[in-house]
Amino acid sequence: MLTRRLVVCLDVKGGRVVKGVQFEGLRDVGDPVELARRYEAEGADELTFLDISASAEERDTLWELVRRTAEQLFIPLAVGGGVRTVDDVGRALRAGADKVSINSAAVANPALLTACAERFGAQCVVASIDAKRDGERWRVYTHGGRKPTDLDAVVWARECVARGAGEVLLTSIDRDGARTGYDLALTRAVSEAVDVPVIASGGAGSAAHVRDAFQEGGADAALVAGILHDGLTTVGAIKAVLREGGLHIRSVA
Amino acid sequence: MRVTLFDYGAGNLHSLAKALATVPGAEVRVQEDPVRSLDTDVLVLPGVGAFGAAVARLEPGREAMRAALEQGLPCLGICLGMQLLFEGSDEGEGAGLGYFAGRVTRLAAKRVPEIGWNQVEDERTLAGARLDTVYYAHSLACRAADASVVTGWTTHEADRFPAAVRRGRVVGVQFHPEKSSTAGVRFVQAFLREVAP
Repeated sequence: MLTRRLVVCLDVKGGRVVKGVQFEGLRDVGDPVELARRYEAEGADELTFLDISASAEERDTLWELVRRTAEQLFIPLAVGGGVRTVDDVGRALRAGADKVSINSAAVANPALLTACAERFGAQCVVASIDAKRDGERWRVYTHGGRKPTDLDAVVWARECVARGAGEVLLTSIDRDGARTGYDLALTRAVSEAVDVPVIASGGAGSAAHVRDAFQEGGADAALVAGILHDGLTTVGAIKAVLREGGLHIRSVA
Repeated sequence: MRVTLFDYGAGNLHSLAKALATVPGAEVRVQEDPVRSLDTDVLVLPGVGAFGAAVARLEPGREAMRAALEQGLPCLGICLGMQLLFEGSDEGEGAGLGYFAGRVTRLAAKRVPEIGWNQVEDERTLAGARLDTVYYAHSLACRAADASVVTGWTTHEADRFPAAVRRGRVVGVQFHPEKSSTAGVRFVQAFLREVAP
């Protein structure tokens, strides 16, 4: 039986891990390779680099960073942010990423998911969906949550999978950074709609929130960022709560 | 000890090369030519890609590679690399190495690909590294005709499939040891120490 996964997300820009401070600026919080190794040692099941580089020059440093990290990291590494073409995906995989998440580019051109899955396999294609509650449904947004689309998140998730995505990274824009817990209704709706793993994202404020994403949301994996980087909790502490909740998780020997 | 990764266009070899290189004395190299990849002390068949494309790259050296394995060349096949050790696959045209009898077929499960960490049961591949929970990313599994070569099993939904096979000095694993953290790296190290010296 598959274990539930705890995925740690690091925002990177220009080859460094950064953190937004009240939307006013970015603070350098450390060396990505060092942080990646630390989270692996603590028991993270997977790592994600979200590239928030604004320029092509900054982005070019991402591949070198992925290469340096892959050489020292022995858990899966996913890369997302700014991936637009099949060649971008190929470059990420060659650099050492195991998976690539595609967001705005998939909405603009859904065939991109199919092309990537056919060339590299569904296991490395992650459909990244940013969704915001809109009445009884959830609307898909692109471009970092700034541009609304006409897509319904559940319907779009199903289409992404039909087109070749092997996983869905589902982020609630309403909950992102709020630390009030994952959007459980959204997570459950998408988990029930697709046959591939769903990674819940956005809103983790405590270990109990992560547990709820699994138990009530039906997620296969949960993405955690800020509460770990800020030292509010640890991978080990979250996993202890999950274990107490009767969830099947990987223990670190 | 020369350790050669046969690169059939699989892409990401960084973590695997580094895991192999953690063993003192291991000299890791990457070779794209299947025949030249046999000029080595240990052959590694890495694990990302599609069966059809991989066997097309393997074809010019298929007979030589099979003969080398039968003659005792230590070999570690990972994921697709394990599948190449079998006779054929539902995923694509062409013949595998046929070192193990049996075919590769799609996982009989609702959730395919299987992505994530899963347990290995009844594991007895290597003496120096016992496996517990390891990382999988696959849609197909190797149905060994002879169950005695299976040295570990994993269950995804209702499908119980070989996690590891071994015959002589050839080991195949469906999971990714290079993505299975400390336990996986230990497995790679134990393979080089026990099977390859």
